[in-house]
Amino acid sequence: MKIDYSLVSRRTFLNTLFGGWLLAFMGGSAYALLKFAFPTLGKEPDFVILDADQYMGIPENSVKPFAWGGKLGFFFKRPDGTTAALKGVCTHMECNIAYKPEERKFYCACHKGWFDETGKNIAGPPPKPLEFFDVRIEGKKLMVARKGIKVELPKA
Amino acid sequence: MNCPRLRSWFSERYDVDGIRDLFRKKTVPAHRYEIAYYTGGTTLFLFAIQFVTGMVLSLYYIPYFEHAHGSIIEIVTKLNMGWFFRSLHHWGAQIAIVVLFVHLWCTLLLKSYRKPRELLWFSGFILLVISIFFGLSGYLLLWDERAFAAVRVATGGAGNLPLVGGFIKAFLRGGMDVSGDTLTRFYAFHVSILPLFTVLIVAGHVLLVQYHGMSVPLSVSGQTRKDVPFFPNVFYKDLIVWLIVLGMVVTFATLFPPEIRGKADPLAPAPENIKPEWYFLFLFQTLKLFPGQIFGLNGETIAILLITAGILFLLFIPLFDIKSQRGEKSPLFTWIGMIYLLYFLVMTVIGFVS
Amino acid sequence: MKELAMAFAGIFIAVATLWAGQEKIEVFPGSPYEKLIIYENLIIFWIGIIGLVVIIGMKLREIKRIRNMGIDREEKDIPVLD
Repeated sequence: MKIDYSLVSRRTFLNTLFGGWLLAFMGGSAYALLKFAFPTLGKEPDFVILDADQYMGIPENSVKPFAWGGKLGFFFKRPDGTTAALKGVCTHMECNIAYKPEERKFYCACHKGWFDETGKNIAGPPPKPLEFFDVRIEGKKLMVARKGIKVELPKA
Repeated sequence: MNCPRLRSWFSERYDVDGIRDLFRKKTVPAHRYEIAYYTGGTTLFLFAIQFVTGMVLSLYYIPYFEHAHGSIIEIVTKLNMGWFFRSLHHWGAQIAIVVLFVHLWCTLLLKSYRKPRELLWFSGFILLVISIFFGLSGYLLLWDERAFAAVRVATGGAGNLPLVGGFIKAFLRGGMDVSGDTLTRFYAFHVSILPLFTVLIVAGHVLLVQYHGMSVPLSVSGQTRKDVPFFPNVFYKDLIVWLIVLGMVVTFATLFPPEIRGKADPLAPAPENIKPEWYFLFLFQTLKLFPGQIFGLNGETIAILLITAGILFLLFIPLFDIKSQRGEKSPLFTWIGMIYLLYFLVMTVIGFVS
Repeated sequence: MKELAMAFAGIFIAVATLWAGQEKIEVFPGSPYEKLIIYENLIIFWIGIIGLVVIIGMKLREIKRIRNMGIDREEKDIPVLD
């Protein structure tokens, strides 16, 4: 079939071309801007290495904080002498928690959440237990790693 | 102050008389709800206070996480009247938000949002969101332990939104966690991005009010009434209200200077029983109503979805309220407005007491 | 009414305990002399505001009086002297 007259006039064609081109141009520019405005995200570390002397010697039933990336980590010695490391951040709203030795529980002051010695959420709003890490000692190095991560130290 | 040459200089170039006539012709309806007309102007005045005090504070504030807290202590303890202007900025913000909410509810209950003023409602709503974000970003600039924890909770709450939550959270924080990057970001929001948008949208909002004229509530629109000219009657009354509000803000600023806590430490435990600013309390309290799990779903996500739905309904209320669009009374939406108001008040009080 | 009073009392107590709770950074000039000056200035500021409000009130009454007399409208064809 052949149409005598084009359905699209020269003017609408030009308008559509101009509008579409302008939209694409501005969209591309806005995308570049947003890409810049959006931060490059740092990742949480897979493991951190601490000085064993400073951490193994803490008294029983106490915690010592360490930096897990930008977040709070706790090295924890239970009353029976076993040790563990955990992320000291509440699973509810990401507030930093504190250890209450007299009650043997972790406590989040933001919304009154409680966790027991194994990190189980026992009271308050927290939906999940605390995240525990693997702890390994090699000589003077105390290696705290996310569960299931194999720590490979750089050879040097 | 009668300078004929200056006056003629202007009138040769601009239509001064025409502009003056336009100004003179503006009238304000007089009726029993006319007090609601003063809330908008008062908000504008308080915003002006915020702009001026913010400008002088920014001369001394250092937006870097190591020095931010110290620089505020410097402002408060060492500079001439520093404690006063920080306090004024704080109380100006608090009272601006109070008046903003009063303005919102006057508009909502008197249905001034109805046709043809929908765009006024939308622009006002955007200004409300901007103001709240002003509050949140300004709060973090203090960089003390409470602000740190509160911003962590607030941005983390935004992260619970489905799909876009993680995006928003990372964008606000400038990283995975609240850190020095967040402070820089919030400073940029607080002193450059938000003020510019505020000026633009406020200008549009005020121009729209002039274009449409003052809205007359449906319940009094049928009655015969005498409109009073804006200038000088209402203008002088506005001035009285502004002066009294200024006096109140200054009094609050003098008698209750806001405290500063210890410097924020990302590794310190959260301070006991932190509460967000009062205008977030109703949200905070709503979140507490929901258990952690509902039918195997994350309770928080459901709560935030419901809150979002409530806010969106409020935003689009001019489109839903068809009766008042046609100029009929719509008691249903008066009730909905009352429910919103009561919910806000009750939850805020509960949040305060608990 | 009683509940309202209780709620306010609750707020007050909460604020008061917060107030007294912790040692804090001094956010208000400490010496009695400075305090005296500040409170004095606050009173002077209020006197200024009240004065302005009173004057505006007088102006408003004047405007009303003129309007009642009906001479607020400028006549269009008034002969101008210049």
